[in-house]
Amino acid sequence: MRRLFLRRAGLALLLMLAATALTFALVTAAPGNVAALIAERAAGAGADGQMIARIADELGLNDPLPVRYARWLGDALTGDFGISLRTGKPISEEFAERIPVTATLLAGGGILALFYSLSIGLWGAASNGRTTDQLLHGIALVGASTPNFFVAALLVIIFAVGLGWVPSFGLYGWTSWILPCITIALFPGSVLARVVRVNLQEVMARPIATTGFAKGMSRGEVLLREALPNIAIPYITTLGAQFTLMIIGAIVVERVFGLNGIGAFFIEAIRFRDFVGMQAVLTLFVVFFVSVNLLVDLVAMLIDPRLRRARRV
Amino acid sequence: MSNLNRRQVMTSTVALSFLSTLPRVTFAGGHGDTLRVAIAGETGDLDLLQNVSTLSSYTVVFDGLIHYGPGGTLEPGLATAWSVAEDGKSITFDLREGVTFSDGTPFDAEVAKWNLERWMGVDDFSWIGISDAYEGIEVHSPSQITVNLSRPVPAALLELTIVRPVRFLSPAAAAGQPIGTGPWIVESYSSSETILTRNDAYWGERPAFSRLELKVVPDELARANALRAGELDVIGGDWVAPLSPRRAKALEGAGMTIVAEPGTATTILGYSPKSPMMADEGVREAIFIGIDRAAVAQVLFEGYADPTIDIFPTTVPTAGIRHQVPARDLAAAQAALEGAGWNRNGSGWSKDGQALEIDFLVSEESFPGSRRIAEMIQAMLTEVGFKVNISSVDNATMHERRPNFEYDLTFFATYGAPYDPHGSLGASFVSTVDTGPDGKIYISDELDTVVLAALEASGDAQELAMQGVYDWLHDNVAACPLLVTQRIWAVHPRVQGFSLPATDYDIPYKGLSLG
Repeated sequence: MRRLFLRRAGLALLLMLAATALTFALVTAAPGNVAALIAERAAGAGADGQMIARIADELGLNDPLPVRYARWLGDALTGDFGISLRTGKPISEEFAERIPVTATLLAGGGILALFYSLSIGLWGAASNGRTTDQLLHGIALVGASTPNFFVAALLVIIFAVGLGWVPSFGLYGWTSWILPCITIALFPGSVLARVVRVNLQEVMARPIATTGFAKGMSRGEVLLREALPNIAIPYITTLGAQFTLMIIGAIVVERVFGLNGIGAFFIEAIRFRDFVGMQAVLTLFVVFFVSVNLLVDLVAMLIDPRLRRARRV
Repeated sequence: MSNLNRRQVMTSTVALSFLSTLPRVTFAGGHGDTLRVAIAGETGDLDLLQNVSTLSSYTVVFDGLIHYGPGGTLEPGLATAWSVAEDGKSITFDLREGVTFSDGTPFDAEVAKWNLERWMGVDDFSWIGISDAYEGIEVHSPSQITVNLSRPVPAALLELTIVRPVRFLSPAAAAGQPIGTGPWIVESYSSSETILTRNDAYWGERPAFSRLELKVVPDELARANALRAGELDVIGGDWVAPLSPRRAKALEGAGMTIVAEPGTATTILGYSPKSPMMADEGVREAIFIGIDRAAVAQVLFEGYADPTIDIFPTTVPTAGIRHQVPARDLAAAQAALEGAGWNRNGSGWSKDGQALEIDFLVSEESFPGSRRIAEMIQAMLTEVGFKVNISSVDNATMHERRPNFEYDLTFFATYGAPYDPHGSLGASFVSTVDTGPDGKIYISDELDTVVLAALEASGDAQELAMQGVYDWLHDNVAACPLLVTQRIWAVHPRVQGFSLPATDYDIPYKGLSLG
């Protein structure tokens, strides 16, 4: 198991390295001139061609791409992601201020999606084929098909503007998290609810369920004790994938609810061609994606010995 | 588990109806002495020498020697009076006495000199005429200084009203500490908000409330919703937190107060001076009269824009005589093309085997709303017989293509108050001034001479020389002014006495009272 973990972790590191190299190349290839942006920041309308050329030279922007990437990677490994071209602050300071916001949003949304999906999925399976099941199926379908900016706008209009129960933007206590967390949880929660429902249906048709019923268990007991543990692997795998995708949802949700997290920083970095900020956030996304997937793989292997054996072969 | 029955449905409906009758939790509560203004981006540390912090936030903390008043009038700031020498090469300022910075440091001539020398004569600020021509500062007394220049700078006084870098910082302030003499003191700032408290030692009229909160809300819809929910008091201003005409209309319908006044910046269609097609005056003329400016203003700006064919609006000083906006004239546009030798070719036109086809460069990111204006103009010019290809690009591409004149037609906007008319004329119509990504509305050797003469003219000659520029541009159909968009702000009903500040770089707080 230890060897397997080390092998997976090594692969994850290689993947991160390749992904950062790719994003570095893409960000560098994007239209726009870093030196011009820095010159504009320093001198506003006074930025001229000579000044731009001087800055490009000082920053080594004329060096070959591999040299620039190696330099960036060396700094990044020490936690130095550079200075944001938009805010003029070190990226590490921006991250320190913003990561807790995004982390809270993702954690809140993740927990909500977990409970929502299990409740809807189990309830649907328990009321197999009846009106409630169809209604819950419809709810999950709507949740999985509605874009989160629309959900956000709707929730704000009803609960913040109309009823005034929660703030419409910013962070003013725990109530500020309610609407953003619901918004970000709705899509993954709905997808997961379908995973739970469909997999439970499949397990309930297996002999294991029949045996449970033969033992005198009720449908609810069979679902919870026999069927639910059997859907753990597909559920955790989908949960991992959906959780990583939630960071993309955060980009929209943070902006709509005025939360100054990593997503909001990324959007502004793109708008202002803050290449340094864009590269730093993309690196953070890469680390997040790879780490969550590694964790999901390991958890799945811990739960199911068959997977451990399969990976060894 | 049972199916939903009629009773359960009815119970749920009644429960939801009951919830909706619960009283509103007022998140606006406890803000009786605080004005909450939306800003689209964080203020930053308000470093006067860096082009990072949002321009609008400086004005509440820092004063200049001279302030920009309505219509471009010069109002006393930290200077109570000033006089320009007859040869224009020196300006003497009488400094306001008894003023202290918010850290207690007194403001006097030595402090003024220290501040001015941070940017005057410095290469990075040579784009400001008075800095470029700077020779030295004489301190006559603790309340009087003279700035000496190597040449007259007619726009010098106007330049001293701009936001950055000309305002005054306490010499005792540590790096990153925004300490000025203005009406507000920065208590704290973050990426979410900047909190300011009233400067009770302010030399001017003190605000009626003790706290000002600048809330960072980048999304326009979120700002509008927060205003309706009572979580914000004021939103708007092109450089503070832009409000689109359509959103303003919606907010008006929701009971918010909309305040709109004629703007100070003109939206102009620029003809590329390097485009062979645009070198043809008949083509430029056809575009000029083939556009229905009034329709664009009414349809796309909900009436919050004024059609124009002048370079500057009257809200800017020495804006020149007014020209009546012509009605769109399809026949006249086609006659202009015929007069220039273009021949009808089916639904289009051709000349010397070349079809009348133009590239219209648009960047929604650089100029929000421009795509829709471009599409409307495309439809109008298609009726004239043009084939218009819209190139929709991102901001960075716009910044590369525009200075290289890689277009036939594109959008520009004049800088507006307090930079105009000198700012836009110098930057957008003089070929020898390097303005980087901003590009040029129009340039030619002949125009250079006319504009440079106007920029150097002073006194009575200035107005005449400026008019010379406007006449040249008009007579040569060198640019195609479209609209002056209005300055739009939306205010929550609890705010009384709202009036627009002199420029959109200012945060409105003067004369306001809170209910």
